[in-house]
Amino acid sequence: MSGSRTLPLLAIFGGVVLILIGIVYFIEPAHSLPSFFPGHVGTGDAAYAHHHVKHGIAAVVVGLGAFAYAWFSTGPAGSAAGTDTDAGAGTGHSPAR
Amino acid sequence: MISYLQGAILGLLQGIAEPFPISSLGHGVILPRVAGWDIHQNDKFFLSFLVATHLATALVLLGFFWNDWKRIVGGILRSLKQREIRADDPDAQLGWRLVVGTIPVGIIGLLAEKPLRHVFASAPSAAAFLFLNGVMLFAAERLRRRAADARALAAMEATADADARLSKLTWRQSAAIGTAQAIGLIPGFSRSGATMSAGLVAGLDNEDAARFSFLLATPIIGAAALLKIPDLLGPDGDGVRGPALLGAVCAAVTTFFAVKFLLRFFETNRLTPFAYYCMAAGAALTVAFAAGA
Repeated sequence: MSGSRTLPLLAIFGGVVLILIGIVYFIEPAHSLPSFFPGHVGTGDAAYAHHHVKHGIAAVVVGLGAFAYAWFSTGPAGSAAGTDTDAGAGTGHSPAR
Repeated sequence: MISYLQGAILGLLQGIAEPFPISSLGHGVILPRVAGWDIHQNDKFFLSFLVATHLATALVLLGFFWNDWKRIVGGILRSLKQREIRADDPDAQLGWRLVVGTIPVGIIGLLAEKPLRHVFASAPSAAAFLFLNGVMLFAAERLRRRAADARALAAMEATADADARLSKLTWRQSAAIGTAQAIGLIPGFSRSGATMSAGLVAGLDNEDAARFSFLLATPIIGAAALLKIPDLLGPDGDGVRGPALLGAVCAAVTTFFAVKFLLRFFETNRLTPFAYYCMAAGAALTVAFAAGA
């Protein structure tokens, strides 16, 4: 697999995972979250029924950012370029590059 | 609870202090203490009140830059369709720079706003941070004059269109300027002051730094307010909705005139007067609070 395809694929995979994590945050109360999730609490905690909506929004936003990265880096300009530089002033590059 | 008079005064203050680089949150913490009002930063009714004034501020900013936002959103949609952010499309370039600048502070705000508000909610700490905010503004002006790359600056200023100049920021600079907004979560530090300072250090002039700051402010303030609207409409908003509505109207009026004034002010002026104000007010209030005032 070429290097130029690896990052977009990782971004798509990461985006899907992050959006799934966001959905879990939206639908599960704090005590039902997997124990390794930030915000998980035991059933004895006062905030056990709290839904961590903000965590969910953060995960979804970063996931969408990952999709945007993949979208632009596999577009016409992204596919044509080879090097990974800080996309700067008016180069026509995607933010991914 | 908040009276109608207090609501009007706090609304007027919010409208001025949000776009001015002097910390609206800091002034919102300090004023009730100085005036002897029984209003505290973490009171639920006060947080509900702030939702209304912040929403008003965001709506005025959106309206003020409505034509710009139409072009920017059009540019973003165009670039998504083309799968390319074209160099000759300043609207898309600026739009994605605003996205890149907004995401980090959005994440930080979502995750850290509540703990920061609890830790730094007191008027004495807000006064001390107001002083440091002045130091930050002053340092940014000094750094800009010392560190600005003469050629880059000349190239930027030679570009007539403000959006074209802003679209010459690198992605890293855009992310850094946007992330600087996070310091505004601490009462006493100004969100707009931080972005203007970061913009100056990145090589923007005062006018462009202010414009970029106002554009960055709109989605973040609007989203934060929208997210908390249930607080205002729920039980926490009982008894405060009337003063909040009055405060929102006052904030809207003063935000409009403050933005109009600042865009003209920064055509020829610098952050220095605000730096002096913050340092003087912050130092005086810190001493006064320490003396038990």
